[in-house]
Amino acid sequence: MHGRLKVRTSEEEKARKEKERQEKLKHFKYAMQKIFTKRKNGDQDKEQLDLTEKVLSSNPDIYTLWNIRREVLIYIRKNIDSEENISKLYDSELNLTEYCLKINPKSYCSWLQREWVLTTRTDPDWKKELELCNIYLKLDERNFHTWDYRRFVVSQCKPPLQEEFEFTTEKLYDNFSNYSAWHYRSKMLLELYPDLEGGRPIQDNHHKHELKMVQSAAFTDPDDTSAWFYQRWLLGAVKETIRVVTFTVTPQKTIVAWNKFVSADYISSQLKVYFNDVITEGKWISCNEHEYDNLWIFNHNEEIVENINVKIEHKTLDNENEIITCEKYEPFVFIGKNKICFQNQYSESVMKELNEQLDSCRQLLALEPDSKWTLLTTTFFLHCINASLYHKEVVENLQTLKKVDSLRAGYYNDLISKWNIEQQLPCDYENNSLHYKNGFKEKLTSLPHLQYYSFCKTVDLSNQDLTSCILPFLKKLQICEVLDLSGNKLTTLKRFPNLNLEVLNLQNNHELNLEEIELFKEKHKSIKVIF
Amino acid sequence: MSFKTKDVVLSEDRPKTLLIQKHSDFLAAYGLNKDDYEFCMTEYLRMSGIYWSLTAMELMDQSSRMPKEEIIAFITSCQDSESGGISASNGHDPHMLYTLSAVQVLAMYDRLDAIDREGVVRFVTSLQQEDGSFIGDKWGEVDTRFSFCAVMCLSLLHRLDAINVNKAVDFVLSCMNFDGGFGSKPGSESHAGLIYCCVGTLSICKRMDALKADELAWWLCERQLPSGGLNGRPEKLPDLCYSWWVMSSLSMLNRIHWVDKKNLEQYILACQDAETGGFSDRPGDITDPFHTLFGLAGLSLLGNSSIKSVNPTYCMPQETIDRLKLEPQILYV
Repeated sequence: MHGRLKVRTSEEEKARKEKERQEKLKHFKYAMQKIFTKRKNGDQDKEQLDLTEKVLSSNPDIYTLWNIRREVLIYIRKNIDSEENISKLYDSELNLTEYCLKINPKSYCSWLQREWVLTTRTDPDWKKELELCNIYLKLDERNFHTWDYRRFVVSQCKPPLQEEFEFTTEKLYDNFSNYSAWHYRSKMLLELYPDLEGGRPIQDNHHKHELKMVQSAAFTDPDDTSAWFYQRWLLGAVKETIRVVTFTVTPQKTIVAWNKFVSADYISSQLKVYFNDVITEGKWISCNEHEYDNLWIFNHNEEIVENINVKIEHKTLDNENEIITCEKYEPFVFIGKNKICFQNQYSESVMKELNEQLDSCRQLLALEPDSKWTLLTTTFFLHCINASLYHKEVVENLQTLKKVDSLRAGYYNDLISKWNIEQQLPCDYENNSLHYKNGFKEKLTSLPHLQYYSFCKTVDLSNQDLTSCILPFLKKLQICEVLDLSGNKLTTLKRFPNLNLEVLNLQNNHELNLEEIELFKEKHKSIKVIF
Repeated sequence: MSFKTKDVVLSEDRPKTLLIQKHSDFLAAYGLNKDDYEFCMTEYLRMSGIYWSLTAMELMDQSSRMPKEEIIAFITSCQDSESGGISASNGHDPHMLYTLSAVQVLAMYDRLDAIDREGVVRFVTSLQQEDGSFIGDKWGEVDTRFSFCAVMCLSLLHRLDAINVNKAVDFVLSCMNFDGGFGSKPGSESHAGLIYCCVGTLSICKRMDALKADELAWWLCERQLPSGGLNGRPEKLPDLCYSWWVMSSLSMLNRIHWVDKKNLEQYILACQDAETGGFSDRPGDITDPFHTLFGLAGLSLLGNSSIKSVNPTYCMPQETIDRLKLEPQILYV
């Protein structure tokens, strides 16, 4: 029951209402009984249409009654009537659905019946249907059923897509808060203006135009959230390429980490592994035993000796060849690292637009420093324009957002963790250490991108704000020997993955239960657990 | 034009503690009077009604108050021998929605033997389309809700192999939107309820990797309003059932901490009716079994210890999912 306010009534009123309801119920039960009996007897006639119409007019969600109506209509069409009369029947069916939709504009059954009639009859008037959508969307601009129905009608009568695109423009200039229109617009933008040559989702000039449109919407009223989601999407609409990030070979394990999830099929067709310049065959096993993963273990028969030359060749989907050669980091430990970059790449003109909008955002922010959406947008502009240059400011903003928008503090904390890790990773990839430690003062609350550190032998996650939610992530630390999780907020070890650890430090996790640690030790006898 | 956030204000005299006994009484009494007006008028969704009530009772550890044998016999009587599908009630037509509800109820009772399981498999399988989508019944309505019903139903019967899972996944992914969310079919706007269905489908099919996790989870956590309640789409009023659709999705995405749990708990508790028992969509509205289940299930996800642990994918007690040895995927990225 949605949106039905409980009203207090007198006993007298209650009794009167109950009597009325019982009367209604009597009629309802009688009608249903009669309909079901007629159906059993195969009476597919006008009377059945009248009976079901009566019940549906006040209860449009009784799906079986609509099924019965369709059966009757099919029967009549097949057996008895003239084309003209059938057409009349269909018209009255449309009237019934219209009536029902007035009672319940979200009645799935009524919308479906309308679709059925229009696709079944030989003389559908699609133009009229499109006009009906226009009227309904004026009454409720967010009814997703109406929008879906509109898309159905459009798929049938195929007006120029440009017209539909302009319809969303019109709707948005009526009210920028119309999220449904932003949504529809995003679909058409991709279809009308894809950047086929550059491989970006949207052509430059349109990308820029949309950014401008969002800006005028968002600045009309910054507290209206609709446009901001569209803007966030535009900011993320950049080209993405699957890349290998790191490759580790030890006598125990050979592992390859990717920036995105890939399947074994992808790896088999796009990646070649060379030991001493000879292609090596083997089997790829997902680290999490899933079909798609960002860390894969390569099972092969090569012996890892003191000096071995290992390289991999990845043919990207753009037909670009990346070759990564392993270096010896320690005896019997060979690691290859790719160049990594988390910065979004925009065209020059879009970048110019972003910079201009950043300026306006900053001006607005100066007037209202605690406006959540202005602050958040400024922060995303900064991050998207130049994440490393503006990093300090970005993190400061996110700290402010934790206070201004405290409901979502958990999100902002995780965002700080993620963007700090993204800042640190390229530096860590430059040096030859097999050790990972958070280099920022903000404590980590989550462990994104952990597959990038799959080559580390020692991982120091001490004194962070990690909870037991992160335990399954540790599976990425495939060759880690020493793991320090002391001083965190772990509450249980239930989902601790199987790892070949030598030492695990769990000290100062005050809510961790001693009994559970003993059980853990029992189960993982080879690990030295410090507690 | 000044913009005003659509929301409600919680009053000071709202319920602040969980009224388990009241809810149990409310559900136990629901349907006892077969001539009750509301009860009769909702016959067309009876099977789901039974699922909502029983699951709520299970979560409160009070399911012994439900007429178990009567329910099982009713379900058996609602299976259509020809198609294998199950209807909402006697006289009504078999449909995917009620087939799932029936299978869920029987799974909780550990009585899946009460129906022709192969019949159910046959029914569900027959509704998969060339593009991987599922229709709700032979009349052809396509909706991602039915994709979710199909994979959930078959996985509870350990017969996912009966359909083309890859195609089912591809169809669901074709419904992904600019905001990372999902609608009811390709092109449809994102909606928290349908996001739950699509994320749930990917969780059962173990393809959570295909989600844009950060974008989607951000959109989901932005559903939380100052009252603590969650809405289902931007610029809409909060509704208790979104505590479930949003929170279960965030749980499968391992990002439940992106909403403010304390405020949400306050909102959920405020939707209780201290007189009649049960939960409603918003404080002060009429209660019903549907919102009662999703209120309790939401509290369970928030870690309320007086309610049994609920599985975020199946919306059934975790102990049932464990007994059936099902392991729906949770995303770790």
